[in-house]
Amino acid sequence: MASLRELQQSFAAALRDPSAACPVVPAANLSIYRGNVRHAFRSALEQSFPVIRRRVGDDYFGQLAHHYRGQFPSRSGDLHFVGANFADFLADHLRGGDYAWLADLARIEWSREEALISPELPTVGAEVLAGFSPEQLADLVFTLQPSLHLRSSSYPVFSIWLANQAADAPPVDQSCGHECGLIRIRAESLEVIRLEPRLFSYLSALAGGAALGEAMDVAGLDETALLSSLGFVFSEELVIAVSLTT
Amino acid sequence: MTRLETRGVPLGPIPARAGIGLRFVHHDALLEERPAVGWIEAHTENYFHEGAAPRALERARANYPLSMHGVGLGLGSADGVDRAHLGRVRRAIDRFEPALVSEHACWGHAGGEFFNDLLPLPYTEEAVALLASHVREAQDFLGVQLLIENVSAYVTFQHSHLSEWEFLAAVVAASGCGLLLDINNIYVSAQNLGLDAEGFIAGVPAESVREIHLAGHARNGAILIDDHGSAVCEEVWQLYTRAIARLGPKPTLIEWDNDIPALATLVAEAARADRVLEELHGLAA
Repeated sequence: MASLRELQQSFAAALRDPSAACPVVPAANLSIYRGNVRHAFRSALEQSFPVIRRRVGDDYFGQLAHHYRGQFPSRSGDLHFVGANFADFLADHLRGGDYAWLADLARIEWSREEALISPELPTVGAEVLAGFSPEQLADLVFTLQPSLHLRSSSYPVFSIWLANQAADAPPVDQSCGHECGLIRIRAESLEVIRLEPRLFSYLSALAGGAALGEAMDVAGLDETALLSSLGFVFSEELVIAVSLTT
Repeated sequence: MTRLETRGVPLGPIPARAGIGLRFVHHDALLEERPAVGWIEAHTENYFHEGAAPRALERARANYPLSMHGVGLGLGSADGVDRAHLGRVRRAIDRFEPALVSEHACWGHAGGEFFNDLLPLPYTEEAVALLASHVREAQDFLGVQLLIENVSAYVTFQHSHLSEWEFLAAVVAASGCGLLLDINNIYVSAQNLGLDAEGFIAGVPAESVREIHLAGHARNGAILIDDHGSAVCEEVWQLYTRAIARLGPKPTLIEWDNDIPALATLVAEAARADRVLEELHGLAA
């Protein structure tokens, strides 16, 4: 008699392939389980990528979900993780085609999904700078809100994401090119904001652990931009801690 | 029980009254309307992470005794218990301090793939031993007794030679878990597979049943699909009434997961379950 492990392996094979044999009756009802499994996966993916679904339509989204599951099956009993590889999958699947930009749109949507399940920690205000001397400013390191995600793309994916929050959004002119921005949670609300490229570079450097002086160099900001760039991170309530680089 | 006292919130035990399954769409309405339901139940996996959902559940649990119901452990999986998932369940228990914690008598993963569905087990001694050992492993790790729920089934294994209630009773005896009896699942499986729903109610060990679920199902030709997308049907209400007559008063949950109606509709379903409990046994405070 087959062991329990063997029975589950044959059931699993029948969930993937309708022609696989499995010792159950009525065997035709295995299609109900196949449908349930397909539905659970697709629904989870749709919840994480509503704008992709809206842009490509139900049928094509279903095809994408099917191919994606073939390559990246669920690895957890927690459906949150189902979409973790979808952007990489799309990049590979759509490479070189007219829809390659969907991969970058998917990265924004996954950042949204990650932001939504991040904690919001208490922020510190600019007054924290009073604890440091002017000579120390360049060596300050900022810890930013854990929900902050920074994304850039050679396509206008922020405009596409913002335009597609409503159904029947008009197509966005793809020729408007490169965009970058941030995705985060603030006061329990999602924020998706396009950023000016130098501000984006500066924030990315800070988020990567660079000290203030280095971040300004990376972004090509000179001393005249010191106050405005510092003002941005504090007024946007992005900073949860400030320390001196060691 | 020190953990339960840390927040100074009156909690469980879950009363032998009707409660409702809490879904995201009702988080705000529950707080605003404060319906007179005895308790609430949340899907454990929906509160694994940070963000708005767990904050809403913290507010809800300040007003109602809370049960947490898992759908993702697949404790009957021959490949073993996913310790990472079990760790997340433990963090949820530590955070929300539920008075009851439940899972399903099913499997869900094989060969590294998770199917995110409640898949049926063969009713054999081998499956009893495996499920019971995984239930013990989970209970030891979580530090709570688990209630294990019977699932809806659309197929039976040719290897099964125990009845479902004999199977569940054996798992209880071997693991020390309790049972969560889903009356709709009993009805759906009985209709689909020609099984004996009344025999199930008569045969299940009454003292081990600590919670009951009620839900709606859909019909697809000759097959009943357990979709939790409609009101409890009359046949299931009748089966529930006979179950309560035999088993005694038990906490009873109204579950509704698809085409979710207004909160008031769930509350009305819960009131009907309360009437059954009251007529047969008098209503618990």
